[in-house]
Amino acid sequence: MIAILVIPIVTAIVCYNIWNPRVVGYVSLAGVVALVVAAFPVITASLVSPVSALNEAFSMDALSGYVMSLVIFLSLASAIYSISYLEHEFEAGLTNPRGVRTYYGLLHLFIFTMLLVTMANNLAIMWIGIEATTIVSALLIGLGFHKRPLAIEAAWKYIILCTVGITFALLGTFIAYYASTAIMGTEGALNWTVLQGVAHKLNPATMKLAFVFVLVGYGTKAGLAPVHNWLPDAHSQAPSPISALLSGILLNTAFYGIMRFVSIVQPSTGSAFTGNLLIIFGLISVGISSIFILVQDNYKRLLAYSSIEHMGIISLGVGFGGPVGIYGALLHILNHALSKPLMFFASGKIQARFGSTNIANVRGVLTSMPLLGTLTFIGALSLSGTPPFNIFVSEFTVLKAGVDRGLWFAVALFLVFVVIVFYGVLSGFGKMLFGRPEESTVAPSAHYPQGLNLGGVLANGVMIVMAASIILLGFKVPAIIDTTIKACVLVLGVK
Amino acid sequence: MKNWIEAFSVIDFISIGILLTAVTLNAFKSIESYVKAYTINSWLLAGLIAVVAVLVGETHLYIAALLTLATKGILIPLFLRRIVRRMRVTHEIQPYISNSLSLAISGILVAVVYASLKDGIFVTGFSRNALQISIAVILISLFIMITRKKALTLVIGLLFMENGLFLAGFSLTFGMPTMIELGMLFDMLMGVIILGIFAVQIKRAFASADLDQLTVLKG
Repeated sequence: MIAILVIPIVTAIVCYNIWNPRVVGYVSLAGVVALVVAAFPVITASLVSPVSALNEAFSMDALSGYVMSLVIFLSLASAIYSISYLEHEFEAGLTNPRGVRTYYGLLHLFIFTMLLVTMANNLAIMWIGIEATTIVSALLIGLGFHKRPLAIEAAWKYIILCTVGITFALLGTFIAYYASTAIMGTEGALNWTVLQGVAHKLNPATMKLAFVFVLVGYGTKAGLAPVHNWLPDAHSQAPSPISALLSGILLNTAFYGIMRFVSIVQPSTGSAFTGNLLIIFGLISVGISSIFILVQDNYKRLLAYSSIEHMGIISLGVGFGGPVGIYGALLHILNHALSKPLMFFASGKIQARFGSTNIANVRGVLTSMPLLGTLTFIGALSLSGTPPFNIFVSEFTVLKAGVDRGLWFAVALFLVFVVIVFYGVLSGFGKMLFGRPEESTVAPSAHYPQGLNLGGVLANGVMIVMAASIILLGFKVPAIIDTTIKACVLVLGVK
Repeated sequence: MKNWIEAFSVIDFISIGILLTAVTLNAFKSIESYVKAYTINSWLLAGLIAVVAVLVGETHLYIAALLTLATKGILIPLFLRRIVRRMRVTHEIQPYISNSLSLAISGILVAVVYASLKDGIFVTGFSRNALQISIAVILISLFIMITRKKALTLVIGLLFMENGLFLAGFSLTFGMPTMIELGMLFDMLMGVIILGIFAVQIKRAFASADLDQLTVLKG
C-alpha cells in the first residue's frame, strides 16, 4: 500500500533528472503504468473490506478506493495526453527542456498529493494532503511555461484564495478534534475509522460549527460558488492536461473531504443541517455558473464554469441525501471525471490548431478535424446533460432524490438552471463545431503537427476510450461500478 | 515556575501581545515593519506554547514550541527579508483606506469578537481569552489582506492568519500530535516559499508588485 505513495515520488525525481524532452514523457508514462499495477490489487481489496497500513495512519475503504481509482485513471489519461501536448508546445517554442522536465516532475508530485488525500485515515493528514495539492498545482499552472503573465496572475489568485479557504478548513478540523477529544481522549481522535464509531456521541453544537468551517474551506477548493472565483482563471490558464486533472479529480478530492465530514457530523446533528447547507451551496453554484456559461466567449472558461455547475450538482446530490442522492452524486463524480477531461484534452488540441481560446475565432472543427470534432461533440452533448449520455443519467438520479424528499422548490430551480446550461454549452460548442473553417478569423497555427506520431496516436486513443465509456455509461451502469458505488454509500453510513 | 506563571497571568499577557502585534499592522507603512511585526508575533506564539508546556508538562508541547520558533520565528522571516531585498520594493504599503480608519475598524472587529463569543461556547483549556484573541487575529489579518495592495502584504496577512489559527488550535485542544504539527508547518513553509516566488514573478511580469495590475482575468 505504501508503494502507491512511493512510486509517484520516485517517478517525479527520475523525470526531473532526464534532460531529453522526448524521452521524459514516456518515462513518466511508465511511472504511471507502474502505479496502476501497484494500486490495482490494493483498490480491489479495499472495495471488499477496509485495508490499512502504518499503524492505521493510512486506511482505505470502498470510498477511498473509488476516488483513488478515478485519480489513477485520470493520471494515466493525463500522462498519455501530456506527451503529444508537450511535444507540440516544445516544437512551437513555448517551452524549453527545463520547462518540460519541471512539468513532469511536478505532475507526479501532484498525483502523489492527491493519492495522499484519498489514503489518509486521519482528517488532519487529509488536510495536509489537500493543502499540498494547492501548492503543487499552483506551480503547475504558473511556472510550467515561461513568459505567461496571465498564468502567473491565475496561479497567484488560486494559491491565495485556496490557502485562505483551506485555513478555515483547518480551524474546522481543530474544532472537530476538540469535540472528539472531549469524549475519548487524544488517542486516534481524528482517525476516520475511530470517529465513525463514536460519531453519534459528539457534541452537536460543536460539530455544527466545525462543519460550517470545513464546508467553506474545502468548498473553496471544490469550486462551490460563491467561493469559486479562482476556478475559471486557474482552469483556463493551466496547460490542458493539468486543467483536465484539476477539473476532473482535484475538485472531487476536496469534495471527498466534505463527504467524510458529512458522515461524521450527521449522526449527532441529524441530516437536515448538513443537507440544507449543501443544497444551498449547490443551488448557488449551479445558478451562478449557468449565467456565466450563457455569456461566456472563451471556451476554456466555459468548461471551467461547467465544472462549477457539476460540483454544484454533486453537492445537491449529497444534500438531498438518502441512498439515491448519494448514489447519484458518486455516479456524477465518475461521469464528470470522464466528460470534462475529454473536453479539456480536445480543447487543448483546438487551441493548438487555431491559436486562440475565443469561441468566435474557432469555426468548422467538424470539417477540418473530423475525429477531434466528433469527440468534442460527444463530450459537449454529455456535459450539457443530453440523453442518452452518461451525465443525464446521474443528473436524473440526483433529481429523483430531490423529488423523493419532496423539495419541490429546489428541484424546480435546479431544472431551470440545468436548462440554461444545456443551451449555453451546446450553443458555445455548436458555433465552434459547425460552420466552414474558412470563416474563422485567425490563420491556423503553423506549428500544428500534420502527420501522426506515436504521442499523437496515444492521445487520440485515450480520448476515444473516454468517449466510448461516456456512451456506454449512458446506456447502462456496469455491474462492477454499480456494486462499488453501493458499497461507498454504505461506507458513508447512509441506509 | 508554575505558580509564578499563574500569579502574573503570563498567558494572558502573551496572548494580548499577539493581538497587539496584529493590530499594529494597521499603522505601519513599510513592508520591513510588517516582517518585524510578524517575527515578534511568531516569537510570542512560540513563547505561549512553551509556557503552556511548562504548565501541562507534556513533551510534545515543548517540541511544538521549538518547531514553531524554528519555522515561523526564524526561517519564514529570513526568507521574507530576502524576498523584500530581492524585489527592491518601494517600501510603501499604499493601503486603500487611511491608517487611522483601518485602525478604528480593527478595534471594532475585536469588540465584535468579544461581544459575540462572550458566553464562551467553549470551555478553553488554559485561558479565558485565548480563543477570542485568536479569532480577532484571524479577522484583523483578513481585513489587512483585503485593504492592502502589495503582493507581499497579502502573504504576511496570510501568515498572521495562520498564527491566529494555531493559537485557536492550542486554546481548544492543547495542540495536535507532533507528526501532524510537523506536516502542517511543512505545508505552510512550502506555501510561503511558493508565494514568495510568485510575488517576484508578478513583479517581473507586470513591472510592479501592486495587485491592481492583476485585473485581466474576470467573468
